[in-house]
Amino acid sequence: MRPLDRLVEDSARALARRSSRRSVLAVLGRALTGAALLPLLPIDRASRAHAAESKPKAAGPDSCDYWKYCAIDGFLCACCGGTSTSCPPGAAPSPITWIGTCHNPADGRDYIVSYNDCCGKTSCGDCECNRNEREKPPYRPSRNNDLNWCMANADSNYHCSVSVILGVAEK
Amino acid sequence: MRSLPLAVALIGLWAWGALAATPPAPLPAEHLTVEKLAAPSPHWIYVFDAAFDNEIDQRVRLYDGDTHRRLGQIDAGFTPGFNLSPDGAKSVVATTYYSRGSRGTRTDVVEFTDNATLSPAGEIVLPNKRAMTAPNPFSVAYSEDGHFVYAAYITPAASFGVLDPVHLKVLSEIDTAGCVLVIPGGANRVSSLCESGRLLTVSLDAEGHDSGRSMSEPFFNPDNDPVFVQGIRNSRGYTFLSFLGEVHEVDFSGTQPSFAPVWSLVSAAEKGHWRPGAEQVGALHRKLGRLYVPMHEGGEGTHKDGGTEVWVFDVASHKRVARWPVQGAGLKNALALQVSQDDAPLLFVATANSDVAIFDALTGHLKYVEKHLGQTPWMLLNP
Repeated sequence: MRPLDRLVEDSARALARRSSRRSVLAVLGRALTGAALLPLLPIDRASRAHAAESKPKAAGPDSCDYWKYCAIDGFLCACCGGTSTSCPPGAAPSPITWIGTCHNPADGRDYIVSYNDCCGKTSCGDCECNRNEREKPPYRPSRNNDLNWCMANADSNYHCSVSVILGVAEK
Repeated sequence: MRSLPLAVALIGLWAWGALAATPPAPLPAEHLTVEKLAAPSPHWIYVFDAAFDNEIDQRVRLYDGDTHRRLGQIDAGFTPGFNLSPDGAKSVVATTYYSRGSRGTRTDVVEFTDNATLSPAGEIVLPNKRAMTAPNPFSVAYSEDGHFVYAAYITPAASFGVLDPVHLKVLSEIDTAGCVLVIPGGANRVSSLCESGRLLTVSLDAEGHDSGRSMSEPFFNPDNDPVFVQGIRNSRGYTFLSFLGEVHEVDFSGTQPSFAPVWSLVSAAEKGHWRPGAEQVGALHRKLGRLYVPMHEGGEGTHKDGGTEVWVFDVASHKRVARWPVQGAGLKNALALQVSQDDAPLLFVATANSDVAIFDALTGHLKYVEKHLGQTPWMLLNP
C-alpha cells in the first residue's frame, strides 16, 4: 500500500472510531483527502459574497479575526503570497489536515473548514494567528492545531496555513 | 579670595594637559578561549525556544537564575522534542533536518548533548516518522533509569521508537493504535494518551521489545474537558491539568498507572470562568508540594492564552495558597513556567513577549526580569 493511501486509511479509521454520524464522517473524509472535492459541496457562495459587501468593515482574510480562522494556529497564507484558500507560489498543500467548525456572523451559519498547511518552505513569519475554538490536544489529531500537518509531505517544512470551507455544518 | 577659583581652574587645565600628554598603558593582548560551565546549579533552567518565526532553527538556552547570565545554547532543529536525562547530565533533542536547509533529503534524528560542556554526545538516526508538535515533555523522554530513550512517532499513525542511548541504536518500533506520545513509567514502561481518555501502557523486555500491554479506564473526558498533554512531573509520575481546571495525578511507578482522586483548581463559582492556559500549564515543587499554574479569565478556546496570574496550590490539602499577579506585575501573559527543586526555589515564568521573569517561589516576590530570552520560549525544564 502506498504511504499516502495508508495514511488516509489510518486517518479515516481513526475518524470512524469517534464519529457516529455518517454525514459528519463523509464531510471529514473529504477534508482528509484535500480540497479537490470542494466544488461539489453545498457552499452558499452567493449569500457569503452578499454578506461581505454589506459589511465592508468585517475582518478580511489577512486578519486573524477573520471568521474562518477560529481554530487556526500559524501564519496566514493570505499574508504570505497566498489567500485563505490557496498556498503561496511554490509551496505545497498538505494532503492531511485538521478540521474546525466556525461561525460566520455574516450569514449566521456554522461551516466546517479544513485548516490545511502549506509546506515546503520555511516559516512565513507574517500574520501569526493562534485561535483555538473547539481545538483539542493531539490525542484528538483531527481537532488539533499543534501538530505540523506538513508531516506527511515530501518536504515537511511548515510555511503557512489556510482555512478552506468544506460545507455547512449540520445542526 | 576672588582669584582662588581662577587658580583652581588653571591647575585643572594643567593636570588635564599632563594626562593627555601621557596616554595610558595599552590593553594586554587577549586570548580566544572557550568558556567552561561551572558545576550545575539548581537555579539553572533550560529554556526551550520554539523560534516560531523560523522553525527550522529552534534552540534551547541554558540560563542562570542567580547571575542572570545566558550560559550557552543547544541547537534543536525543526519542531523538535526536548528532554533531560534523569541525572541531568545529558540533554536529548529529537529533530528533523533537510540536507539543503529547507529541502533535500529528510533525516530524523535523536541528538544527545553533554550538559557539562554543551557539546554533541552522539546521535541515533530515526525512521522519518518523528512526532512534530508543540513543546511538551513527551515527544522524547528517558526511562526512569536512563537505560532507554523513547521517541514519539506520528505520521499521523501513532507509534514510538525505543532507543538505546548507550550503544546509540534503535531497538524497536511499537505501534500504539491511535494513542500518542511517550510517558515514561519506571525502567521499562511507556504510556500513551488515547483519544478515548485512556492510557495505553506498553511494557518492554530487556531488548526494548513489546512484552505486554494494557489499557486503563478513561481518566478524563476528552469531549467535555480534555487534559493538556503538557504533563507536570510529580514524585511518582505526572500530573495532568484539564482545560476547566481539574487535577489528575497519575502514579506511573507501578505496573499499571493508578489515579488519585480528582480535585479542582477552581471553585464552583470560578469554573468555566477562570481556567489554566499556556503552552506549559504548570510546575510542581515536589518536596514542598506546591503546584504553580498560569490562570486567566476566559471561555472555551482560550486554553493557550496564557496566565494573567499564577495560582499556587498545596497539593496535599488541594487548597489554593496564593494568587500572584503576572499582568499586575507589568508582565505579559505567562506562557510557560518551571520551579527549581531546591530549598530556596525560584519560579521562572516565560511571557508572551518572550521575557523570563524570576519570582521567589516561596513568597511570589518578583526578583528579576530577563528581557527577550529567545523568540518564543514555550517550555522550561530542569533536572
